[in-house]
Amino acid sequence: MGLFREMQLSLFIKNAVANVWHCLTTQFNLIWDYLLPAAGAPDWQWILWTLGTFLVIGGILFWLLQIVPNRYRKTLVAVVTFLAGLIYAVEYFVPADPKTGTNFLTPFADKLQEATLVIYAFALGLGVYSLIRFHGRGLIKLRPGWQNNLAFFIAFLAMMGAGFWQDATGSRISLNVYDLLFQSTVASLGATMFSTIGFYIVSAAYRAFRIRSAEATLMLIAAFIVMVGQVPIGAYLTSGIPASGWISVFKLENLSYWILNQPNMAAWRAMAFGIEVGALAMALRTWLSLERGSFFDREL
Amino acid sequence: MNHANWTIGILEGILVFLILYKIFSARRGKRLYIRRVPGLNAIDEAVGRATEMGRPMLFSPGISGLGLPTLQALSILKYITGIAAKYRTRIIVPTADSVVYTIAEEIMKDTYTAHGVPEQFNPEDIRFLSDDQFAYASGVVGILNRERVASSFLFGNFFAESLILAETGHQVGAMQVAGTPQVTQIPFFITAADYTIIGDEFYAAGAYLSREPTLLGSLIGQDYAKAILILIMGAGIITSTLMAINPAWANWLDWLKYFRVGQ
Repeated sequence: MGLFREMQLSLFIKNAVANVWHCLTTQFNLIWDYLLPAAGAPDWQWILWTLGTFLVIGGILFWLLQIVPNRYRKTLVAVVTFLAGLIYAVEYFVPADPKTGTNFLTPFADKLQEATLVIYAFALGLGVYSLIRFHGRGLIKLRPGWQNNLAFFIAFLAMMGAGFWQDATGSRISLNVYDLLFQSTVASLGATMFSTIGFYIVSAAYRAFRIRSAEATLMLIAAFIVMVGQVPIGAYLTSGIPASGWISVFKLENLSYWILNQPNMAAWRAMAFGIEVGALAMALRTWLSLERGSFFDREL
Repeated sequence: MNHANWTIGILEGILVFLILYKIFSARRGKRLYIRRVPGLNAIDEAVGRATEMGRPMLFSPGISGLGLPTLQALSILKYITGIAAKYRTRIIVPTADSVVYTIAEEIMKDTYTAHGVPEQFNPEDIRFLSDDQFAYASGVVGILNRERVASSFLFGNFFAESLILAETGHQVGAMQVAGTPQVTQIPFFITAADYTIIGDEFYAAGAYLSREPTLLGSLIGQDYAKAILILIMGAGIITSTLMAINPAWANWLDWLKYFRVGQ
């Protein structure tokens, strides 16, 4: 009987929460739809709407921070941090609908993620400002290497101009210019830089594998087995060993596989465990604003 | 998106409780001991080297946006900037993320002011290079070579560019201290850097350097949390071995199923 009552109560609470939630989301969606530009509205309306929304919300937040007395500002920041983090924490712990894999907080967590992206997009302007300030001063004062500063401005303006031109007209020639700058220049330069890793690995491996101690010798042997086991010659060298039975473990490809997936994986996972527990502790400190002293002033 | 089940929820609750309990007991003044971490001791030595040589230092906070590893890197930056301010040594901070750039700038400005040398802060020494991985790497390589840095600190999230940065630092003769939570990049740092912070030492750096009670308590709480996880893992190994010996025992022995999320 007690269990039946508990089930009834649980069902009642669940239904009540679901009803309140439904009302709230319906009203919110109605207001949201009313404020949004109409479907199929031109791009400039969307851009204006986004900028306007950001300015209004930013203005309200700025005003709120201004009217709050100095001694409460840190508390306000801590409260906002806590509430924002709480959405993610509760979203993770509240069981999800097995069909959709989401719960009632998932859409909010997604929206919060999008808001973070918007803030990031605005901060990009600060990065560009840093570049222009640094290279601009170098160019104006004709510091040694000013040619590099000039190259930055030429590349910056050319890439930006090509991007806008391609976006505005979509013509074949604009696409070709964009491809020439991006695919044939930027992407190729990135690939070139990436390929230099091969040379760096050789010089680093030479130092690492020099036999100076028992540990270095052990590492050299393990590395040799792993490397040879990954290439066809490794399989060829031990092809005489039967493929079945206990002796098959001495085939180079099997030894290589064993080193990678047993001792190496064990060490890898041990480090990963330590790192994740450390990340949990740091996330907790950040969420509860216990760590402010590490970056700026005293702890809260 | 993954969601926790009851077992994970309870386990995380216990871990969180342990960490918070230790934090608050440390704040009440309980004395705590942490072992010596040679890589973190080397930071002071690296700053001293740059001061003696009269050459700048370089600090890279990695190429990720503002996440936990970058926050940890920034707390180390604050410590290094504090010593740099004391010895009047220049420190160059190239960043790959505009938000990290602004926060790093504020941290350095704040630290120089706190140490009474606000004039030593040079906004041009904190630079946003590029958010492209290899463009950033080539920018840092250029700085390492042009400025002939005496000490290089690589803390934060690094990926394929880790070896490019560390090996170039080695070639210019810089003393290097590195640390990253990216397990796949740790071998590159071990090979090329003079000192490497391994695994969870990366997240212990803040506590080790600042000796703040909150961070020390958190560190001890982490150790208790790890002890619990090791116990669970040990029990899991024994259970899995027994189930491998006799699969029929899985019906009543498989408690590990309660830890599988999404099943």
